[in-house]
Amino acid sequence: MKAHILGLGWVTPGGWGRGSSDALFGLGGGVLPQLTRRDLFADPYPRFGRLDPFSRLGLSAIALALDDAGMASWQEKRPIGLVADSRYGCLATDFDYFRALLPEEGGLASPNLFAYTLPNTFLGEAAIRFGLTGPGFVLSSGEGSPFAALEVALELLCDGDTPAVVAGFCELPPFPAGDRSEPGGAGAAFLALAPAREDSAAGPRLTFDGSWRVNDYQVRDWPGMIAACRQPAGSES
Amino acid sequence: MSRVAVVAANVVSGLGESLDATWDGLLRGKTAIAPLARFDCSGYLTDLAACVAGLGRQPGASRLEPLLALLLDGFPRVPVDSRLLTATTKGPIDLLEDQVRGGNGAIGPLLLENFSRQIAGRLGLADPGMNVNAACASSTIALARGGALIAAGRAETVLVVCADLVSEFVFSGFSALQGLSTTPCRPFDSERSGLSLGEGGAALLLMSEERVRRDGREVLAWLLGWGVANDANHITAPARDGCGLLAAIRAALGRAGLSTGAVAAISAHGTGTLYNDAMEMTAFDQLFGPRQLPVNSIKGAIGHTLGAAGGIEAAIACRALAQKRLPPTVGCRCPDPAAAGRILASVQDLDGEVLLSTNSGFGGINAALLLGAGGGQ
Repeated sequence: MKAHILGLGWVTPGGWGRGSSDALFGLGGGVLPQLTRRDLFADPYPRFGRLDPFSRLGLSAIALALDDAGMASWQEKRPIGLVADSRYGCLATDFDYFRALLPEEGGLASPNLFAYTLPNTFLGEAAIRFGLTGPGFVLSSGEGSPFAALEVALELLCDGDTPAVVAGFCELPPFPAGDRSEPGGAGAAFLALAPAREDSAAGPRLTFDGSWRVNDYQVRDWPGMIAACRQPAGSES
Repeated sequence: MSRVAVVAANVVSGLGESLDATWDGLLRGKTAIAPLARFDCSGYLTDLAACVAGLGRQPGASRLEPLLALLLDGFPRVPVDSRLLTATTKGPIDLLEDQVRGGNGAIGPLLLENFSRQIAGRLGLADPGMNVNAACASSTIALARGGALIAAGRAETVLVVCADLVSEFVFSGFSALQGLSTTPCRPFDSERSGLSLGEGGAALLLMSEERVRRDGREVLAWLLGWGVANDANHITAPARDGCGLLAAIRAALGRAGLSTGAVAAISAHGTGTLYNDAMEMTAFDQLFGPRQLPVNSIKGAIGHTLGAAGGIEAAIACRALAQKRLPPTVGCRCPDPAAAGRILASVQDLDGEVLLSTNSGFGGINAALLLGAGGGQ
């Protein structure tokens, strides 16, 4: 299965960025950058500041990928799909929501926060913000393949279910009890993908045939994927 | 493209511990929605939900475990080369509740991937599985993905398992959203006032036509088409014009190569909320025009089982196609004018071979399945 990579975006403790920018990608421990609405959106977007941290992380990376692909602006809704892989999903939000129900925390459920106790809610936010009406869901695939969402995205493209897909991962592990340090493994990265064409100008080519390649670079993890996508066209030969 | 068969199906619901028991309860117009004893409901809008009777907990274990045992222990043989797709929105949410109340605990058991791993281990499957999460359309989408894997020749056989529990976590949230009905829910009724939560699960084994022949399986139904689309409109409310649901149904029809005229009945999401039911009828009207197509919802009988709803409803749809009967919409005593003539509180005859099943969820997601009567290999 093949696709063209139209754009990429990421938010990691090592840095945040899009496309071929010089920003670093690093999933080791550390503090996630606190992106503001102004970092991502030119126009007012009051909802952004009210999102839970998991949704804000995922939406930020999707926004960067769409911007890099030149797909952030829209007039009419588009049947573009959204697929994310997440081991931890919205567990951090789940803990925050249910803690508020404890008598010592006030015992009141927050209807606003409850809406974000589903891992796919941030995909809904992205769908609304960018007018994306294609298939959208979150996978929990475990540690087997780091690119489970990309594989499903290629299937959606190959099967003609959608003309483009934004796919990647979003991880915000919950804090262990009593620990307020930044958990390891946090971050998000998304690729904007379209069906492969015989047009090298369309962007790097992503191929999966049992192993993953970007152009001729074999990739095994997300740092490798981002690095390969940022190689200048033709530099592999 | 390979045709996709449903060769085995089971359901656990508040109406019973099997598909047979649930089907029997549905046809009798029973409801499992009753006062809850699982947690203190005094601070919430209601104390009503549909729980699986006798679903106890071992210390430190989730209620999902006995639910899966009920679902899978008597399930027909699953080939070890089956791909596994699961669907749960909150998984072992009772364990998270314990951790918050107790102030400690490990994260590992809370991960949704463990739901898939547990099932793969129980059945000895080579594929550790993958969980699909798309709110209340989760299992509908898992079935769609399973169908796509088989149709494209990427898999010969796919097991889809879905389950969700009644928990204080979810109950409190829908109560805070003012989404719970204070009486057993009344889908498509003119006086509907919200949903009733339920718990349960379903397992459906999908196979390619070739594999069905090779393994000598009986075809319960054919999964003819599927579609998934987003409203891109609101996080917790459906688009009033039903645009996402319309797109999902049109995609399903397109994949099946069918026109609307082939559809004999609809198993609707039918939560009993004002906006969901109105949105669905708007979409159905736009697609099917003046046809008085039979429509039902089983949520007045087993409650809204969240991520498991689509899987349970698909299994019930297989039985409905086999018996040419559409279960009653329990709780609908005075149909909304928009639904009049199509929604009945009694069994409706199914005059045709194709049934449409739809679900929608938070995040604006919609999914549709088209199921065809079995046989015809």
